[in-house]
Amino acid sequence: MNGWSGFQRDLLEQMPLILAGLRQTLQLTVIISVTGLLFGLVVFYFSNSPYRWVRSLIQGYISFFIGTPLIVLLFLMYYGLPQWGLKLSPFLVAVIGFTMNVAAYNAAYLTTARNGLDPSEIESARAQGFGRGQIFRWITLPQVLRLSVPALTNQCIGNLKDSSVAFLIQYTEFFARIQELAATNFQFFKAYLLAAVVYLGLVSILVLMARQVEKWTRLPGLGR
Amino acid sequence: MNFFEIVAQLAQGLVSTVVVTLVCSGTGMGVGLTVAGLRRMGYAHLVPLLDGFTYIFRGVPVLVLLFLVYFGLPSVGIKVGPLLAMALSLGLIAGAYLAEVFRGALDSVEASEILAAEAMGMSRLQILTSIEFPQMLRLAVPGMINEFTSILKYSPFAYTVGIAEITKQAMTLTATTLRGIEIYIAVGVLYFLIYRILLAGVHFLEKRYQVPGLGTT
Amino acid sequence: MALIQIRNLVKKFGTHTVLDGVNFDLQKGEMKVVMGPSGCGKSTLLRCINRLVEPTSGTILVRDQDIMGPEVDVRALRQSIGFVFQQFALYRHLTVLGNVVLGLRKLRGMSRAEAEAQALFQLNHLEMADHRDKYPSQISGGQKQRVAIARALAMDPAVVVFDEPTSALDPVMVREVAELFNRLNQEGVTLLCVTHDLALASQIAKRVIFLDQGVIRADDTLENLAKHHPNAQVRAFFGDKEAQS
Repeated sequence: MNGWSGFQRDLLEQMPLILAGLRQTLQLTVIISVTGLLFGLVVFYFSNSPYRWVRSLIQGYISFFIGTPLIVLLFLMYYGLPQWGLKLSPFLVAVIGFTMNVAAYNAAYLTTARNGLDPSEIESARAQGFGRGQIFRWITLPQVLRLSVPALTNQCIGNLKDSSVAFLIQYTEFFARIQELAATNFQFFKAYLLAAVVYLGLVSILVLMARQVEKWTRLPGLGR
Repeated sequence: MNFFEIVAQLAQGLVSTVVVTLVCSGTGMGVGLTVAGLRRMGYAHLVPLLDGFTYIFRGVPVLVLLFLVYFGLPSVGIKVGPLLAMALSLGLIAGAYLAEVFRGALDSVEASEILAAEAMGMSRLQILTSIEFPQMLRLAVPGMINEFTSILKYSPFAYTVGIAEITKQAMTLTATTLRGIEIYIAVGVLYFLIYRILLAGVHFLEKRYQVPGLGTT
Repeated sequence: MALIQIRNLVKKFGTHTVLDGVNFDLQKGEMKVVMGPSGCGKSTLLRCINRLVEPTSGTILVRDQDIMGPEVDVRALRQSIGFVFQQFALYRHLTVLGNVVLGLRKLRGMSRAEAEAQALFQLNHLEMADHRDKYPSQISGGQKQRVAIARALAMDPAVVVFDEPTSALDPVMVREVAELFNRLNQEGVTLLCVTHDLALASQIAKRVIFLDQGVIRADDTLENLAKHHPNAQVRAFFGDKEAQS
C-alpha cells in the first residue's frame, strides 16, 4: 500500500501534537470521571430527600440527562450561550456538560444499588439514634458504593470513549489531532485505524484497573 | 420566528433521526442475536472470534469508528454511503453491547427446559429459536431499552456524514438566526420526547408479549 | 417510678387503628413479655416507644420525661433504648466489631481505642469476641443475635427491647435465648420482649401481657391465662387444648 512511509513521516512529525492531544483526552477523562462521581453523589443524596419537591426535581434531572444526547448539551453551551454574551472555552463546556451528564448516570446506578439494600439496617440505624446524614455516610454510602463499582468503573470507560465527542466543539484532544494528521496526507484509513487502536489500548488498561478495584472493594456477604 | 416555528423547522430532521435510529437498532439486533446465538451453539473455534468482536466493538468510540468507515474505507477503495456508515459503526457497536445483554439473558434460561426440548428430538437451532430466544428476549428488555436509548443519543453523529437529522437542522438554524439557546433547548426537548415515545413503545410491546412468571414482572 | 409509662396510647394508620388505648408500665430491672397474635400491634407498640413510629395520641413517659413533646431530642431518646430487630439488622458491610463500635464512635464520639475496648467488653460478655473480625454473612443466626445485643448494650441503654427474638432462629435455640435473657436480667438489664413464642415466654417470665387488636386484654401468669381466663380465644392462644377445638 502506497503512502506508508509518508504516513509514518507525518506521524512522527506531528507526534508532539498528538501526544499533547492524548494528554488532553486523559486529562478530560479523569476530570469528568471525578466531578461526575462527586456531583452524582450529591444528586444521589438528594434523591432520597424528605421533601417531595426536591425528590421530583432530582428525578426530573436524572430523567432528562439520561434521555437527551450529550452532544446537544455541549452544543447548547458552546453555540448557544454566546447569544447571552457568555463565551466559554471548549474545555469548560466539555467539563460542565460531561459532568452533568455523567452525574445523572452515576446517580441512577447508585439508586439501583440502594434499592437492593436491606431496609431493616436503615431502620436499625434510626433506632440506634443516628441522624439522616450519619445514616447516609456510614450505612448507605459504603454499601451502595461497593455494590456500584462495576457500573461506576464502566462509566469511566465510557467517559474515555465519549471524550472524543469534545472534538466536535473544537476541543483539541487526541481525536482532533488525529483529524489533523489525516488531513495532511489524506491517509484517513491509517489515521483512524491508529486512533481506534489507541483507544482500544487505553480502554484495555482501564478494564484491568477496574477489575483491580472490584477485587479491592469486595466484602463477604455484600452483593457480589 | 417563534418557538413553535423553530420546532417545526427542527422537525424536518425528525424523519432522518428516526430512520438512523431504527436502522442502527435493527442492525444491532441482528448482529447481537447472531453473535449471542452462535456463541450459545457452542462452536468452540468460533468463540474466540466472537469474544474478539465484542471486545473490539465495545472498546472503540462511536465517532472514531464512524469516521474510519465513512472517510477511511474510501481510501482503501470501498465507498460507503452515510446511512450504511452509521449502520456499520453505531449498528455494529450496538450489536456488540446487545450480544452481551443477550448472553446474560440466555444464561438465565432454565437448563431443564432445554434438556426437555432435546429429549423431544429438536435440533440445536430449533431449540435456540423456539425455546431460548423467546425467553431471552423478554428477560433482555431492560438491557435492550438501555441500548436503543443509547443509539438514539448517538444518532446526532450522523450529521458529520451529511445526514440532515435534527442536530444538523439545529446547526444551520443557529448559524442563520443566532438563537442557539432556544434552538438547542428545543432540540433537547425533541430528543427527550422521542425517548419517551420509544420507551412507551417498548413497554407496550413488553406488555403485549408478557408471560406470567417470566422476566421483569 | 416506672422506667416506661404508657397511657392511652393510640396509633392509627389512615383509618386502620392498630393501637387502641394501651396502658403499660415497665419498671427498672424488670423483664416483661408482651404476647399476642399477628397483627395485634406488638411491633407498633415497640416502635412507638422510640418514636420510629409516631403515636397518634396518648402519653409515653421514659424516665419521667414526656417523649412526645416537639422539643424532645428524639435521637437522644433512641440512644437510650436498645432495639434488637427480628432479623437482627446487622450492618453487613461492617465486621462484628465494627457493628458494635459504630454507635460508640459516631454517636458518643469515643476515640477508636476507647470504642473498641468498650465493644470488646460487650462482645466478650456475650461470648462473641472471638468472631470480632467476621462479617455478618459469616456467622449464624444465634451469633448475629448476640452481636445485635452487644451493639445495643454497648450504648448503655435504659432498656433493651426485643422484637420477636426467636422467629428468625431454629426452634432448638429457644432454650439458649431464654437462658441468655435470664442472665442479662439477673445482671440488671431491663428487658422488654415482644413475641408469639410460648416456649420462650414460659422460660423467661412469670407474667405476660396479652395484646390483642390494639388493646391489652390480660396481664397474668401463663398458667392462669391458659386455664382461667374468661375469654376462650385468650385461653386458646395460651395453649388450652379444649378452648382450641
